[in-house]
Amino acid sequence: MARTIFEAEAAREYDLHTPTLKTHVTRYWQGLKNATFELYKSKTAFIGAVMLLILFVTCIITPYIDRYSPVQQNYRKLLQPPSAEHYFGTDRYGRDIWSRVLWGGRRLIVISLLAVLFGITLGVPFGALSGYYGGWMDAVGMRLVDAWLAIPGLLLYLLIVTVAREWKLEGIWIDMTLIFALGIAYVPQVARLVRGSVLAEKEKEYVEASRIIGESNLYTALRQILPNCISPIIVHGTIRLGLDLLIIAALSFLGLGSPPPTPDWGADLALARDHMETKPLIAVFPGLAIAYAVFAFNLFGDGLRDILDPRLVDR
Amino acid sequence: MVIYTINRIIQLIPVLLMLSIIVFSFVHFLPGDVIDVLAGEEDLQDPEVRAALEKEFGLDKPIYVQYLVWLGNVLHGNFGKSLVTRRPIALELFDRIPATMYLALVSIAIAMVISIPLGTLAAVKRNTFVDYIAQTTSLFGISIPEFWFAIMCILLFSLYLGWLPSSEYYSPLDNFGKSIKHLILPAVAIGFRQAAYTTRLTRSSMLDEVSREYVDTARSLGLPERKVIYKYTLRNALIPTLTISGIQLYQLLGGTVVIETIFAWPGIGRAIFEAIVARDFPLIQAGVLVLGTFAVTINLLVDLMYRVLNPRVRLT
Repeated sequence: MARTIFEAEAAREYDLHTPTLKTHVTRYWQGLKNATFELYKSKTAFIGAVMLLILFVTCIITPYIDRYSPVQQNYRKLLQPPSAEHYFGTDRYGRDIWSRVLWGGRRLIVISLLAVLFGITLGVPFGALSGYYGGWMDAVGMRLVDAWLAIPGLLLYLLIVTVAREWKLEGIWIDMTLIFALGIAYVPQVARLVRGSVLAEKEKEYVEASRIIGESNLYTALRQILPNCISPIIVHGTIRLGLDLLIIAALSFLGLGSPPPTPDWGADLALARDHMETKPLIAVFPGLAIAYAVFAFNLFGDGLRDILDPRLVDR
Repeated sequence: MVIYTINRIIQLIPVLLMLSIIVFSFVHFLPGDVIDVLAGEEDLQDPEVRAALEKEFGLDKPIYVQYLVWLGNVLHGNFGKSLVTRRPIALELFDRIPATMYLALVSIAIAMVISIPLGTLAAVKRNTFVDYIAQTTSLFGISIPEFWFAIMCILLFSLYLGWLPSSEYYSPLDNFGKSIKHLILPAVAIGFRQAAYTTRLTRSSMLDEVSREYVDTARSLGLPERKVIYKYTLRNALIPTLTISGIQLYQLLGGTVVIETIFAWPGIGRAIFEAIVARDFPLIQAGVLVLGTFAVTINLLVDLMYRVLNPRVRLT
């Protein structure tokens, strides 16, 4: 009982710094509840979230709701219109378009999720350190980013995919190449974004405080500044997910995405193009699938931006 | 301003050097010998022929010497020969640039003509029916794949209605009317998508500007609303739109590959795509380098223009 007031103070301070598991849980629960409420309040984010939820659930339950194998050909049922048996009809080889759209979506969404994660994992430390340390590191890093971004449009993906094609990769490695190409192209954008927010945050008082306490540079950069720069990345990443889908679709449309039997929205559209005059319906469903998914990501991203950026609240 | 310009041009040099290193190393990531890649004939068995080719391409020297020699050649406009047509690559590419430029410029113009009035209108009539329509349409515009939209356009306007031709390019200098007719569909297909981006941007920067103090001042001085919006606010709000349009222009130089393929447009993007299909690696290399250089240059011009339009940036 002979604790001095200083010891008690120190103990309390200790408590403040290392929250127990319970406080962690309550804090996250509270955060989650707030987030749901905010989502519910914002119209765009809510609709986007619902659309995304439908998309993800469909992707997860794909094996249970598909009717046929997406690659199974049936030469007695070519180019059929939608019917009770084939919800979206069949394509040139008699494959069920409904199953192809489902399986294609599952594959594409996993690829673009991994690609965005890859880009963020590399880009965030790159941008954060570049912005925090400044100096020659920043100069070299940003020139590299400039050069990387200088390759316009689809060309960077085309370059990487060409190299991959020459290596005659197969199976999962083709998807890996796509993930790599999309991810590596995203790195400079993330780096630039993070660097910008780090530069803005660096001037604030809490960073000064952290330094005075004697935290190491790396700790300050990664644990103090970075969490405050996370929201633009979340917004940007969500919208990028949709863009990745569009890029994969464009590559597949050119015949540089995945090899033929793989279900893929862009490749299916390219196939449908040959039958456009007689059976325009075939081109509709894969196109709608892309539009739906990208629209959902964009809407949700827009809504998130409104929520996370209080400056825009009364718009 | 002059010092800033010179500074920026000096900063361009390392960027271009790095770009050239990326492009140069591209060939070395390909499987097999560089000779197979550059000579275009696989499995050259004869060692003497190989050695001769190695000497011709300078491959017997260390890699940094190879790079410097290659860079020297490139700076003299010598990109080597296309493996397919055996013509100099410089000719091959520069033939294609006007078509792409023509398409890109017209699409950007279409995008601006659509998006600036629409974005302004959406911002002025915020949270009304007009605004919602503009917002939803533009969100939808950035969500649909460009090539899908292009195909649907062809389907409607060429196949069903038969109003417009669906492919081919004619130089505007040879036959202006025909050239425009063939240009409309591809330019609209690209322009609509770009317009979707810039409409959103114009709207949000317009909203940003309207909440500034000088707008309140102008209103309280009794200026008519029309004058406040169109004479003062719009001018400031357009700065980001113009900047983004410049960036879109350079993105389009390489990003029209898909549209150029659909409409059989003989542009530079399609040249590179054809080179990829035909495994014409030196042409791919040169194409990316040329487009990248264009991109960096346009980016610089946009930055300089930004400073001319927006004198406030100069102070910081």
